[in-house]
Amino acid sequence: MPKKVLVIDDEPHVVKYLTVFLQDCGYETCSAGDGEAGFEVLKKENPDLITLDLQMPNETGTRFYRNLIKTKDYKDVPVIVISGIPGRHLAVSKPVAVFEKPIDREALLDTIRKTIGE
Amino acid sequence: MSGPFPSQGRLRSEDRGIMNDPRSDEYGKILDALPCYVTLQDRELNVLWSNGSCRRDFGDPAGKRCHELYGIGTSRCPDCPVQQTFADGLVYNREMTLTTRDGQRMTVIVHSSPVRDENGQILSVLETAVNITSIKDIQKQLILLGQTVAGMAHSIKNIMMGLEGGIYVVNKGIEDKKPDEIKEGWEMVLLNFDKISHIVKDILYCSKEREPDLQNIKPNEIVRQVYKLFKDVAASYGISIKLDLDDNVNSAVIDPQGLHTVLSNLVTNAMDACKIDLWKDEHLVEIRTRPGSNSATIIEVADNGIGIDKDLSGHMFEDFFTSKGDKGTGLGLMVTQKIMREHDGSITFRSRPSEGTTFVATFPRKELPEA
Repeated sequence: MPKKVLVIDDEPHVVKYLTVFLQDCGYETCSAGDGEAGFEVLKKENPDLITLDLQMPNETGTRFYRNLIKTKDYKDVPVIVISGIPGRHLAVSKPVAVFEKPIDREALLDTIRKTIGE
Repeated sequence: MSGPFPSQGRLRSEDRGIMNDPRSDEYGKILDALPCYVTLQDRELNVLWSNGSCRRDFGDPAGKRCHELYGIGTSRCPDCPVQQTFADGLVYNREMTLTTRDGQRMTVIVHSSPVRDENGQILSVLETAVNITSIKDIQKQLILLGQTVAGMAHSIKNIMMGLEGGIYVVNKGIEDKKPDEIKEGWEMVLLNFDKISHIVKDILYCSKEREPDLQNIKPNEIVRQVYKLFKDVAASYGISIKLDLDDNVNSAVIDPQGLHTVLSNLVTNAMDACKIDLWKDEHLVEIRTRPGSNSATIIEVADNGIGIDKDLSGHMFEDFFTSKGDKGTGLGLMVTQKIMREHDGSITFRSRPSEGTTFVATFPRKELPEA
Protein backbone atom coordinates (compact mmCIF):
# COMPACT_ATOMS: atom_id res chain seq x y z
CA MET A 1 0.00 0.00 0.00
CA PRO A 2 1.40 3.43 -0.89
CA LYS A 3 2.43 5.73 1.94
CA LYS A 4 0.35 8.80 2.52
CA VAL A 5 1.59 12.39 2.83
CA LEU A 6 -0.47 15.25 4.27
CA VAL A 7 0.38 18.61 2.68
CA ILE A 8 -0.59 21.66 4.78
CA ASP A 9 -0.19 25.02 3.07
CA ASP A 10 -2.47 28.03 2.69
CA GLU A 11 -1.45 28.59 -0.90
CA PRO A 12 -3.58 26.35 -3.13
CA HIS A 13 -0.90 26.49 -5.80
CA VAL A 14 1.75 25.14 -3.49
CA VAL A 15 -0.65 22.40 -2.40
CA LYS A 16 -1.36 21.56 -6.04
CA TYR A 17 2.31 21.50 -6.93
CA LEU A 18 3.33 19.31 -4.01
CA THR A 19 0.43 16.88 -4.29
CA VAL A 20 0.87 16.40 -8.05
CA PHE A 21 4.59 15.93 -7.55
CA LEU A 22 4.23 13.48 -4.67
CA GLN A 23 1.52 11.46 -6.45
CA ASP A 24 3.85 11.32 -9.42
CA CYS A 25 6.45 9.83 -7.14
CA GLY A 26 4.08 7.12 -5.99
CA TYR A 27 2.71 8.56 -2.77
CA GLU A 28 -0.89 9.02 -1.81
CA THR A 29 -1.69 12.56 -0.75
CA CYS A 30 -4.19 14.54 1.21
CA SER A 31 -4.12 18.25 1.93
CA ALA A 32 -5.38 21.13 4.04
CA GLY A 33 -5.30 24.90 3.70
CA ASP A 34 -4.60 25.73 7.34
CA GLY A 35 -3.62 24.11 10.61
CA GLU A 36 -7.15 23.69 11.86
CA ALA A 37 -8.34 21.86 8.75
CA GLY A 38 -5.01 20.04 8.83
CA PHE A 39 -5.90 18.48 12.15
CA GLU A 40 -9.26 17.25 10.83
CA VAL A 41 -7.61 15.69 7.78
CA LEU A 42 -4.93 14.18 10.00
CA LYS A 43 -7.53 12.36 12.09
CA LYS A 44 -9.44 11.14 9.03
CA GLU A 45 -6.55 10.10 6.81
CA ASN A 46 -3.82 8.94 9.19
CA PRO A 47 -0.93 10.12 7.02
CA ASP A 48 2.57 8.67 7.34
CA LEU A 49 4.23 12.09 7.02
CA ILE A 50 3.24 15.75 7.06
CA THR A 51 4.68 18.70 5.15
CA LEU A 52 3.85 21.84 7.09
CA ASP A 53 3.92 25.48 6.06
CA LEU A 54 4.81 27.63 9.04
CA GLN A 55 3.12 30.83 8.02
CA MET A 56 -0.61 30.50 7.64
CA PRO A 57 -3.73 32.45 8.59
CA ASN A 58 -6.15 31.33 11.31
CA GLU A 59 -4.24 28.48 12.85
CA THR A 60 -0.53 28.91 12.35
CA GLY A 61 1.66 25.98 11.50
CA THR A 62 3.32 26.30 14.89
CA ARG A 63 0.04 25.87 16.69
CA PHE A 64 -0.76 22.85 14.54
CA TYR A 65 2.58 21.36 15.49
CA ARG A 66 2.02 21.97 19.20
CA ASN A 67 -1.35 20.23 19.03
CA LEU A 68 0.19 17.41 17.06
CA ILE A 69 2.86 16.57 19.62
CA LYS A 70 0.30 16.78 22.42
CA THR A 71 -1.90 14.13 20.79
CA LYS A 72 -0.75 10.62 21.68
CA ASP A 73 -1.77 8.89 18.46
CA TYR A 74 -0.02 11.38 16.20
CA LYS A 75 2.93 12.72 18.09
CA ASP A 76 5.37 10.48 16.23
CA VAL A 77 4.20 11.37 12.71
CA PRO A 78 7.27 12.88 11.01
CA VAL A 79 6.96 16.54 10.02
CA ILE A 80 8.84 18.31 7.24
CA VAL A 81 8.70 22.07 7.58
CA ILE A 82 8.33 24.03 4.37
CA SER A 83 8.73 27.67 5.09
CA GLY A 84 8.90 31.00 3.37
CA ILE A 85 10.64 32.38 6.41
CA PRO A 86 14.31 31.53 6.79
CA GLY A 87 15.30 30.64 10.32
CA ARG A 88 11.75 30.32 11.60
CA HIS A 89 11.82 26.52 11.86
CA LEU A 90 13.07 26.90 15.44
CA ALA A 91 9.43 27.41 16.35
CA VAL A 92 9.03 23.70 15.67
CA SER A 93 11.23 21.64 17.95
CA LYS A 94 12.09 18.54 15.97
CA PRO A 95 11.20 18.68 12.31
CA VAL A 96 12.64 15.92 10.15
CA ALA A 97 13.93 18.58 7.79
CA VAL A 98 13.34 22.19 6.87
CA PHE A 99 12.91 23.37 3.31
CA GLU A 100 12.78 26.97 2.31
CA LYS A 101 10.65 28.06 -0.58
CA PRO A 102 11.31 27.69 -3.44
CA ILE A 103 11.67 24.02 -2.68
CA ASP A 104 14.30 21.79 -4.19
CA ARG A 105 11.81 19.05 -5.05
CA GLU A 106 14.39 16.29 -5.59
CA ALA A 107 15.88 16.95 -2.17
CA LEU A 108 12.40 16.96 -0.66
CA LEU A 109 11.62 13.62 -2.31
CA ASP A 110 14.92 12.22 -1.10
CA THR A 111 14.11 13.24 2.49
CA ILE A 112 10.61 11.78 2.31
CA ARG A 113 11.97 8.49 0.91
CA LYS A 114 14.58 8.27 3.64
CA THR A 115 11.97 8.97 6.30
CA ILE A 116 9.04 6.76 5.31
CA GLY A 117 10.34 4.76 2.37
CA GLU A 118 9.07 4.53 -1.21
CA MET B 1 46.32 75.93 36.54
CA SER B 2 47.59 74.43 33.37
CA GLY B 3 46.06 75.16 30.01
CA PRO B 4 43.20 77.48 29.22
CA PHE B 5 40.52 75.52 31.06
CA PRO B 6 39.57 75.27 34.72
CA SER B 7 40.71 72.03 36.27
CA GLN B 8 37.85 71.32 38.63
CA GLY B 9 34.71 72.71 40.14
CA ARG B 10 32.64 75.45 38.57
CA LEU B 11 34.12 78.35 36.70
CA ARG B 12 35.95 80.29 39.41
CA SER B 13 37.26 83.80 39.46
CA GLU B 14 40.81 82.78 38.61
CA ASP B 15 39.57 80.73 35.67
CA ARG B 16 37.52 83.67 34.42
CA GLY B 17 40.78 85.54 34.60
CA ILE B 18 42.23 83.13 32.11
CA MET B 19 39.17 83.41 29.94
CA ASN B 20 39.59 87.16 30.01
CA ASP B 21 43.13 86.88 28.82
CA PRO B 22 42.99 88.33 25.29
CA ARG B 23 44.80 85.33 23.93
CA SER B 24 42.41 82.80 25.45
CA ASP B 25 39.53 84.99 24.31
CA GLU B 26 40.73 84.28 20.78
CA TYR B 27 40.67 80.55 21.59
CA GLY B 28 37.26 81.03 23.14
CA LYS B 29 35.94 82.60 19.92
CA ILE B 30 37.27 79.70 17.91
CA LEU B 31 35.73 77.17 20.29
CA ASP B 32 32.42 79.05 20.32
CA ALA B 33 32.32 78.97 16.54
CA LEU B 34 32.92 75.21 16.27
CA PRO B 35 29.83 73.62 14.71
CA CYS B 36 29.71 70.98 17.43
CA TYR B 37 29.01 70.96 21.14
CA VAL B 38 32.13 71.14 23.30
CA THR B 39 32.07 70.79 27.07
CA LEU B 40 34.69 70.37 29.73
CA GLN B 41 33.67 68.07 32.59
CA ASP B 42 35.02 66.92 35.92
CA ARG B 43 34.86 63.45 37.43
CA GLU B 44 31.35 64.03 38.72
CA LEU B 45 30.31 65.07 35.22
CA ASN B 46 29.79 68.69 36.30
CA VAL B 47 29.98 70.84 33.20
CA LEU B 48 32.80 73.30 33.91
CA TRP B 49 32.60 75.07 30.63
CA SER B 50 30.70 74.84 27.34
CA ASN B 51 31.24 76.45 23.97
CA GLY B 52 28.91 78.88 22.19
CA SER B 53 27.07 76.31 20.09
CA CYS B 54 26.33 74.34 23.23
CA ARG B 55 25.13 77.38 25.20
CA ARG B 56 22.93 78.40 22.25
CA ASP B 57 21.15 75.02 21.98
CA PHE B 58 21.31 73.71 25.54
CA GLY B 59 21.51 76.86 27.65
CA ASP B 60 23.70 77.90 30.54
CA PRO B 61 25.70 74.94 31.90
CA ALA B 62 26.20 76.46 35.35
CA GLY B 63 25.36 74.01 38.11
CA LYS B 64 24.41 71.26 35.68
CA ARG B 65 25.85 67.88 35.12
CA CYS B 66 26.36 66.55 31.59
CA HIS B 67 23.18 64.44 31.45
CA GLU B 68 21.14 67.31 32.90
CA LEU B 69 22.48 69.84 30.43
CA TYR B 70 21.87 67.54 27.47
CA GLY B 71 18.32 66.66 28.50
CA ILE B 72 19.10 62.96 28.97
CA GLY B 73 17.78 62.58 32.51
CA THR B 74 18.57 62.77 36.17
CA SER B 75 20.98 59.84 36.27
CA ARG B 76 24.18 59.40 34.35
CA CYS B 77 24.20 57.35 31.17
CA PRO B 78 25.31 53.74 31.27
CA ASP B 79 28.78 53.39 29.66
CA CYS B 80 29.45 57.10 30.14
CA PRO B 81 32.41 57.84 27.85
CA VAL B 82 33.62 60.71 30.08
CA GLN B 83 33.92 58.41 33.09
CA GLN B 84 35.64 55.81 30.96
CA THR B 85 38.17 58.42 29.87
CA PHE B 86 38.73 59.45 33.49
CA ALA B 87 39.34 55.80 34.33
CA ASP B 88 41.97 54.96 31.72
CA GLY B 89 42.81 58.15 29.82
CA LEU B 90 41.71 56.74 26.46
CA VAL B 91 39.41 58.38 23.93
CA TYR B 92 35.90 56.95 23.86
CA ASN B 93 32.95 57.60 21.61
CA ARG B 94 29.36 56.58 21.43
CA GLU B 95 26.07 57.59 19.91
CA MET B 96 23.52 59.38 22.07
CA THR B 97 20.17 61.11 21.77
CA LEU B 98 20.08 64.61 23.24
CA THR B 99 17.19 67.00 23.76
CA THR B 100 17.80 70.72 23.19
CA ARG B 101 16.28 73.36 25.40
CA ASP B 102 13.42 73.82 22.90
CA GLY B 103 12.66 70.14 23.13
CA GLN B 104 14.19 69.09 19.85
CA ARG B 105 15.76 65.65 19.82
CA MET B 106 18.96 65.00 17.98
CA THR B 107 21.34 62.10 17.55
CA VAL B 108 24.97 62.94 18.24
CA ILE B 109 28.25 61.11 18.26
CA VAL B 110 30.15 61.92 21.43
CA HIS B 111 33.94 61.80 21.78
CA SER B 112 35.61 62.10 25.16
CA SER B 113 39.29 62.92 25.50
CA PRO B 114 41.44 63.64 28.53
CA VAL B 115 42.88 67.06 29.40
CA ARG B 116 46.09 66.44 31.36
CA ASP B 117 48.45 68.57 33.42
CA GLU B 118 52.20 68.61 32.82
CA ASN B 119 52.59 65.47 34.99
CA GLY B 120 50.13 63.59 32.84
CA GLN B 121 47.36 63.63 35.47
CA ILE B 122 43.88 63.85 34.02
CA LEU B 123 42.40 67.15 35.13
CA SER B 124 39.20 67.10 33.19
CA VAL B 125 37.64 65.51 30.15
CA LEU B 126 36.79 67.36 26.97
CA GLU B 127 33.61 66.09 25.42
CA THR B 128 32.63 66.95 21.86
CA ALA B 129 29.21 66.06 20.50
CA VAL B 130 28.61 66.21 16.76
CA ASN B 131 25.05 66.30 15.48
CA ILE B 132 24.59 63.35 13.14
CA THR B 133 20.79 63.45 12.94
CA SER B 134 20.83 63.95 9.17
CA ILE B 135 23.22 61.04 8.76
CA LYS B 136 20.90 58.90 10.87
CA ASP B 137 18.05 59.91 8.62
CA ILE B 138 20.01 58.78 5.59
CA GLN B 139 20.78 55.57 7.42
CA LYS B 140 17.08 55.01 7.96
CA GLN B 141 16.44 55.63 4.28
CA LEU B 142 19.05 52.99 3.53
CA ILE B 143 17.36 50.58 5.91
CA LEU B 144 14.13 51.15 4.05
CA LEU B 145 15.91 50.51 0.79
CA GLY B 146 17.43 47.37 2.24
CA GLN B 147 14.01 46.17 3.30
CA THR B 148 12.69 46.91 -0.14
CA VAL B 149 15.40 44.90 -1.83
CA ALA B 150 15.00 42.05 0.67
CA GLY B 151 11.25 42.16 0.11
CA MET B 152 11.71 42.04 -3.63
CA ALA B 153 14.09 39.09 -3.40
CA HIS B 154 11.53 37.28 -1.31
CA SER B 155 8.69 38.02 -3.70
CA ILE B 156 10.77 36.75 -6.57
CA LYS B 157 11.54 33.58 -4.63
CA ASN B 158 7.84 32.95 -4.15
CA ILE B 159 7.12 33.72 -7.77
CA MET B 160 9.79 31.27 -8.84
CA MET B 161 8.20 28.61 -6.69
CA GLY B 162 4.82 29.39 -8.27
CA LEU B 163 6.24 29.25 -11.80
CA GLU B 164 8.09 26.05 -11.08
CA GLY B 165 4.94 24.51 -9.67
CA GLY B 166 2.86 25.68 -12.63
CA ILE B 167 5.33 24.33 -15.16
CA TYR B 168 5.50 21.02 -13.33
CA VAL B 169 1.72 20.65 -13.29
CA VAL B 170 1.43 21.62 -17.00
CA ASN B 171 4.07 19.05 -17.96
CA LYS B 172 2.37 16.41 -15.89
CA GLY B 173 -0.96 17.25 -17.53
CA ILE B 174 0.54 16.92 -21.01
CA GLU B 175 2.18 13.64 -20.09
CA ASP B 176 -1.03 12.21 -18.65
CA LYS B 177 -3.19 13.87 -21.34
CA LYS B 178 -5.31 15.59 -18.71
CA PRO B 179 -6.60 18.94 -20.04
CA ASP B 180 -7.89 19.97 -16.59
CA GLU B 181 -4.45 19.56 -15.11
CA ILE B 182 -2.89 21.55 -17.96
CA LYS B 183 -5.42 24.33 -17.42
CA GLU B 184 -4.78 24.45 -13.71
CA GLY B 185 -1.03 24.51 -14.15
CA TRP B 186 -1.27 27.18 -16.81
CA GLU B 187 -3.30 29.36 -14.44
CA MET B 188 -0.50 29.06 -11.90
CA VAL B 189 1.97 30.20 -14.54
CA LEU B 190 -0.24 33.15 -15.59
CA LEU B 191 -0.83 34.32 -12.04
CA ASN B 192 2.86 34.42 -11.31
CA PHE B 193 3.52 36.11 -14.60
CA ASP B 194 1.07 38.81 -13.44
CA LYS B 195 3.04 39.20 -10.25
CA ILE B 196 6.19 39.84 -12.24
CA SER B 197 4.43 42.56 -14.25
CA HIS B 198 3.38 44.14 -10.96
CA ILE B 199 6.94 44.26 -9.75
CA VAL B 200 8.17 45.74 -13.00
CA LYS B 201 5.42 48.38 -12.94
CA ASP B 202 6.38 49.37 -9.42
CA ILE B 203 10.04 49.66 -10.35
CA LEU B 204 9.15 51.81 -13.35
CA TYR B 205 6.91 53.95 -11.14
CA CYS B 206 9.81 54.50 -8.78
CA SER B 207 12.21 55.52 -11.49
CA LYS B 208 9.92 58.01 -13.23
CA GLU B 209 9.52 61.61 -12.14
CA ARG B 210 5.92 62.65 -11.85
CA GLU B 211 4.00 65.56 -10.42
CA PRO B 212 1.52 64.69 -7.67
CA ASP B 213 -2.12 65.47 -8.42
CA LEU B 214 -2.60 67.87 -5.49
CA GLN B 215 -6.16 68.39 -4.29
CA ASN B 216 -7.84 69.72 -1.21
CA ILE B 217 -8.88 66.54 0.59
CA LYS B 218 -9.99 65.25 3.97
CA PRO B 219 -7.19 62.87 5.02
CA ASN B 220 -9.34 61.04 7.59
CA GLU B 221 -11.76 60.04 4.85
CA ILE B 222 -9.00 58.36 2.87
CA VAL B 223 -7.85 56.61 6.01
CA ARG B 224 -11.38 55.27 6.47
CA GLN B 225 -11.46 54.04 2.86
CA VAL B 226 -8.20 52.16 3.33
CA TYR B 227 -9.50 50.79 6.64
CA LYS B 228 -12.59 49.39 4.90
CA LEU B 229 -10.42 47.88 2.22
CA PHE B 230 -8.23 46.00 4.67
CA LYS B 231 -10.24 45.21 7.76
CA ASP B 232 -11.71 41.91 6.52
CA VAL B 233 -8.45 40.62 5.09
CA ALA B 234 -6.73 41.58 8.34
CA ALA B 235 -9.40 39.80 10.38
CA SER B 236 -8.84 36.61 8.40
CA TYR B 237 -5.26 36.68 9.70
CA GLY B 238 -6.42 37.38 13.25
CA ILE B 239 -5.27 41.01 13.04
CA SER B 240 -7.55 43.82 14.11
CA ILE B 241 -7.18 47.27 12.59
CA LYS B 242 -8.00 50.24 14.79
CA LEU B 243 -8.42 53.91 13.91
CA ASP B 244 -7.40 56.83 16.05
CA LEU B 245 -8.27 59.87 13.96
CA ASP B 246 -7.87 63.44 15.13
CA ASP B 247 -10.81 65.60 14.05
CA ASN B 248 -8.45 68.53 13.69
CA VAL B 249 -7.00 66.82 10.63
CA ASN B 250 -9.90 68.00 8.51
CA SER B 251 -8.30 69.23 5.32
CA ALA B 252 -4.97 69.10 3.57
CA VAL B 253 -3.56 69.52 0.08
CA ILE B 254 -2.38 66.04 -0.84
CA ASP B 255 -2.54 63.80 -3.89
CA PRO B 256 -5.44 61.54 -2.79
CA GLN B 257 -4.27 58.58 -4.88
CA GLY B 258 -0.78 59.02 -3.45
CA LEU B 259 -2.06 59.06 0.12
CA HIS B 260 -4.17 56.00 -0.59
CA THR B 261 -1.12 54.16 -1.93
CA VAL B 262 1.07 55.22 1.01
CA LEU B 263 -1.54 54.03 3.50
CA SER B 264 -2.18 50.76 1.70
CA ASN B 265 1.53 50.02 1.57
CA LEU B 266 2.09 50.83 5.23
CA VAL B 267 -0.92 48.80 6.33
CA THR B 268 0.17 45.86 4.16
CA ASN B 269 3.64 46.04 5.70
CA ALA B 270 2.22 46.28 9.20
CA MET B 271 0.06 43.22 8.55
CA ASP B 272 3.04 41.32 7.17
CA ALA B 273 5.02 42.20 10.28
CA CYS B 274 2.16 40.74 12.35
CA LYS B 275 1.78 37.64 10.20
CA ILE B 276 5.39 36.58 10.57
CA ASP B 277 5.32 37.22 14.31
CA LEU B 278 4.48 33.84 15.77
CA TRP B 279 4.83 34.75 19.40
CA LYS B 280 1.91 37.03 20.14
CA ASP B 281 -1.63 35.76 20.17
CA GLU B 282 -3.31 39.07 19.41
CA HIS B 283 -2.16 41.35 16.66
CA LEU B 284 -3.13 44.93 16.17
CA VAL B 285 -2.55 47.53 13.48
CA GLU B 286 -3.45 51.08 14.37
CA ILE B 287 -3.79 53.98 11.94
CA ARG B 288 -3.57 57.40 13.56
CA THR B 289 -3.81 60.92 12.23
CA ARG B 290 -2.81 64.11 13.98
CA PRO B 291 -1.85 67.65 13.05
CA GLY B 292 1.87 68.35 13.05
CA SER B 293 3.79 71.57 13.49
CA ASN B 294 3.33 74.26 10.80
CA SER B 295 -0.04 72.75 9.84
CA ALA B 296 1.50 69.53 8.61
CA THR B 297 -0.56 66.35 8.47
CA ILE B 298 0.91 63.37 10.27
CA ILE B 299 -0.23 59.85 9.62
CA GLU B 300 1.06 56.94 11.63
CA VAL B 301 0.69 53.23 11.07
CA ALA B 302 1.68 51.18 14.11
CA ASP B 303 1.76 47.43 14.52
CA ASN B 304 2.70 45.01 17.28
CA GLY B 305 4.33 42.62 14.85
CA ILE B 306 7.83 41.29 14.68
CA GLY B 307 9.64 44.65 14.70
CA ILE B 308 12.77 45.62 12.84
CA ASP B 309 15.96 44.19 14.23
CA LYS B 310 18.49 46.76 15.33
CA ASP B 311 21.24 44.70 13.82
CA LEU B 312 20.92 45.93 10.27
CA SER B 313 23.37 43.51 8.80
CA GLY B 314 21.89 40.40 10.30
CA HIS B 315 18.33 39.21 10.49
CA MET B 316 16.64 42.27 9.17
CA PHE B 317 17.26 41.29 5.60
CA GLU B 318 15.69 37.93 6.22
CA ASP B 319 12.82 39.10 8.33
CA PHE B 320 11.33 41.61 6.01
CA PHE B 321 9.41 40.73 2.98
CA THR B 322 6.03 40.97 1.45
CA SER B 323 3.92 38.09 2.58
CA LYS B 324 3.41 35.37 0.04
CA GLY B 325 0.08 35.06 -1.63
CA ASP B 326 -0.62 38.77 -1.47
CA LYS B 327 -0.31 40.97 -4.49
CA GLY B 328 2.51 42.86 -2.80
CA THR B 329 5.76 43.09 -4.62
CA GLY B 330 8.01 44.16 -1.79
CA LEU B 331 8.41 47.52 -3.44
CA GLY B 332 5.79 49.15 -1.28
CA LEU B 333 8.23 51.10 0.80
CA MET B 334 10.12 52.38 -2.20
CA VAL B 335 6.90 53.60 -3.81
CA THR B 336 5.85 55.08 -0.47
CA GLN B 337 9.10 56.98 -0.13
CA LYS B 338 8.77 58.31 -3.63
CA ILE B 339 5.25 59.59 -3.00
CA MET B 340 6.38 61.25 0.23
CA ARG B 341 9.26 62.91 -1.63
CA GLU B 342 6.85 64.21 -4.25
CA HIS B 343 4.93 65.88 -1.42
CA ASP B 344 8.15 67.28 0.11
CA GLY B 345 7.19 65.11 3.06
CA SER B 346 9.09 62.53 5.02
CA ILE B 347 8.67 59.01 6.24
CA THR B 348 10.42 57.61 9.26
CA PHE B 349 9.92 54.69 11.59
CA ARG B 350 10.65 53.58 15.09
CA SER B 351 10.78 49.94 15.98
CA ARG B 352 11.54 47.48 18.74
CA PRO B 353 12.49 43.95 17.76
CA SER B 354 9.66 41.52 18.55
CA GLU B 355 7.48 44.36 19.90
CA GLY B 356 6.42 46.23 16.82
CA THR B 357 7.00 49.08 14.43
CA THR B 358 5.49 52.50 13.87
CA PHE B 359 5.81 54.28 10.55
CA VAL B 360 5.28 58.03 10.58
CA ALA B 361 4.43 59.85 7.35
CA THR B 362 4.51 63.65 7.51
CA PHE B 363 2.85 65.70 4.79
CA PRO B 364 3.82 69.38 5.06
CA ARG B 365 1.15 72.03 4.50
CA LYS B 366 0.84 72.83 0.82
CA GLU B 367 -1.02 75.36 -1.27
CA LEU B 368 -3.12 74.27 -4.21
CA PRO B 369 -1.15 74.94 -7.40
CA GLU B 370 -2.39 77.86 -9.52
CA ALA B 371 -4.98 76.59 -11.97
